[in-house]
Amino acid sequence: MSTFMQFITTGLRLGSVYALIALGYTMVYGIIKLINFAHGDFIMVGGYTLFFTIPAFMKLGLPGWAAVFIAIIVCAVVGMLVELLAYRPVRKRGNNLTSLITAIAMSFILENLAQAIPAIGPDPRVPYMLFNNDIKIGSFSISVATLITIVVSAIIMIGLYQFTQKTKIGRAMRCVSEDKQAAVLMGINVNKVIIITFAIGAGLAAVAALMYIAQYPKVTTTMGATLGIYAFVSAVLGGIGSLPGAMLGGIIIGIVQSGTSTYISSSMADTFVYLILIVVLMVKPAGILGKNIGEKV
Amino acid sequence: MKKRFLSVLLTGTLALSLTACGAAKEAAPAAEPAAETAEATEAAAPEGDTITLGLIGPMTGSLAVYGTHIQSGAELAIEQINADGGVKIGDKAYMLTTEVKDDQGDSTECLNSINALVSDGISLVIGSATSGCTSAITSVANSEGVCLITPSGTSDSLTTTMDYVFRTCFKDSFQGELAAKYAKDEGFSKIGIVYCSADTYSAGLRDAFTAAAGKLGLEIVAEESVASMAEVDYSNQFNKMVSAGAELVFTPFYYDVMGPYLVPQARQAGFSGVLLGADGVDNTETTIPDGMDLSVYNDVLFVNHYATELATSDVSSKFVTTYTDKYGETPNNFDALGYDAVLVYKAAMEKAGSADGAAVQAALADTSVVYDCASGTFSFDETGTPIKTGVLVGYSYEAGASEVTKTAIKVLSVE
Repeated sequence: MSTFMQFITTGLRLGSVYALIALGYTMVYGIIKLINFAHGDFIMVGGYTLFFTIPAFMKLGLPGWAAVFIAIIVCAVVGMLVELLAYRPVRKRGNNLTSLITAIAMSFILENLAQAIPAIGPDPRVPYMLFNNDIKIGSFSISVATLITIVVSAIIMIGLYQFTQKTKIGRAMRCVSEDKQAAVLMGINVNKVIIITFAIGAGLAAVAALMYIAQYPKVTTTMGATLGIYAFVSAVLGGIGSLPGAMLGGIIIGIVQSGTSTYISSSMADTFVYLILIVVLMVKPAGILGKNIGEKV
Repeated sequence: MKKRFLSVLLTGTLALSLTACGAAKEAAPAAEPAAETAEATEAAAPEGDTITLGLIGPMTGSLAVYGTHIQSGAELAIEQINADGGVKIGDKAYMLTTEVKDDQGDSTECLNSINALVSDGISLVIGSATSGCTSAITSVANSEGVCLITPSGTSDSLTTTMDYVFRTCFKDSFQGELAAKYAKDEGFSKIGIVYCSADTYSAGLRDAFTAAAGKLGLEIVAEESVASMAEVDYSNQFNKMVSAGAELVFTPFYYDVMGPYLVPQARQAGFSGVLLGADGVDNTETTIPDGMDLSVYNDVLFVNHYATELATSDVSSKFVTTYTDKYGETPNNFDALGYDAVLVYKAAMEKAGSADGAAVQAALADTSVVYDCASGTFSFDETGTPIKTGVLVGYSYEAGASEVTKTAIKVLSVE
């Protein structure tokens, strides 16, 4: 079994998770031009929800993964609350920079709030392990969770694309993305569009949380910080605002990390990730699949 | 990215400013502990009827098991000492009490903790649990004349240059030697190492293991490092172990990554040999996900300080029974080592006839004193590290069982 194939599977394993998270980042950015730093922490919210709901579902005789629907609802509610309580009031009075700072603040607030809630607590939890099988072809093996993550990411990517192209609310989202003032004039309820965007983005985080804990079964209150950074870099690399770009970026980051640790040194993995990011941004500032003239979803 | 940058910057600035003050003052009190001892005997008789021991450890966070268990062990010892009439200094008896600080397993928090204890006038401190955190506070303890006994900071360098720093556990070079000797005795010839070069504990153990393996003529066929102790993916490292043909892989990591990540991923990568860790691997059973195929935890072994099954002395068997009565579970390493830290302080205070930092330090520095403790009977070497034995513990799983079992396999020692 070649080292090469093994490094590709590890890369896909990491990359598929980054891709899924990056979709949420890019989706929110595409609509309201806000880099939602709290997105990583929505994953933490999803992770803890799943920690409690998966065993509960299994007791009821339902499949464990179905608990993700509860997590989607919880995350969507948290996402909408964050928008209502923090982003919207700030957006009214401030500019893009104030929104960005609010996002960073929100991220810390969510992390620390989670630490302060006794049921969640500051201690890490080890959730139930789902999709715990490997598919072996000869000596080559890939985990079922990795395959499911890639398939789910692809389905979500296509689904989101169709949603923004074909549905009424999706078209409204693109309108808001292109010109908020004009959208208001066309009779679009901008606030409603934005809050739906947040609900969808946070819901995606719940799905990402499910796939993450299936491969790396531990939830901590700060798990979103590092994950969020890689996913954000993935989104930027692929072209922020572009859905296929987010997915491509995630997979590239995962494979670069894995390749560096296989062929060069684990300590250099992050160095290469950021080096590649810088090189890509120098050559193509909008990212690999990004459009140079104002971002559209 | 911004978040990480900011926090790094902040930590860096804090650490720098604190080490800077520490270094300047370091030499002063350490140079004259003997002179102070005489006057301290009368002058520093503690106020009131209680002596407060500071206790620093990760009470919350990824390594919370360490801190909370050190605390349970220490509190049990204090309860027993107080019930037996307290610490006798001169002709007066003092009750013991603790002031607990949570360092969350973070070096900066750990520094804040010891500074808070120092400003509260506490001069006897137990802490912290990990080598990384403890190394951040040794110079403060030394320069402030505060005794520091770390129950489980195993890194060699912690006690070597700091007169005020002691420990109740063995050190990494000893632990690494025990591990290498085990590998040799069991006839493993192809050894691999997966470790974290950026961490004091992991890198220290790797160095000790490599050195001992070299002496014993073991062949290290592959060595791989991961970027941090919080790494989530070990697949590539173990792929290399498999392709190098390693039969035993030395894995100096903590339990928080062993259970969910390292062990299952090693098996998934096709490694079926022995995973041999050090004391950090203890408590891995608390981080095994439900729904995991438990057979992957077979052949996960580690060197440990202590095992209840192998507790033979009066003190250690009393410790096991009283602990089990009080907390309703069997004690682990950290309970025993935390318990021992209190016993050592009690003996030293009674010997010194004082609870003053400098006087107790002088008593602790006497290498002829034998401490009869829960984790064994030992005396300190010149650096303040106990000379004792280790235990080999292993996880195993029998098909059909609901959980893995942890068994003490044998006592390890180097001759």
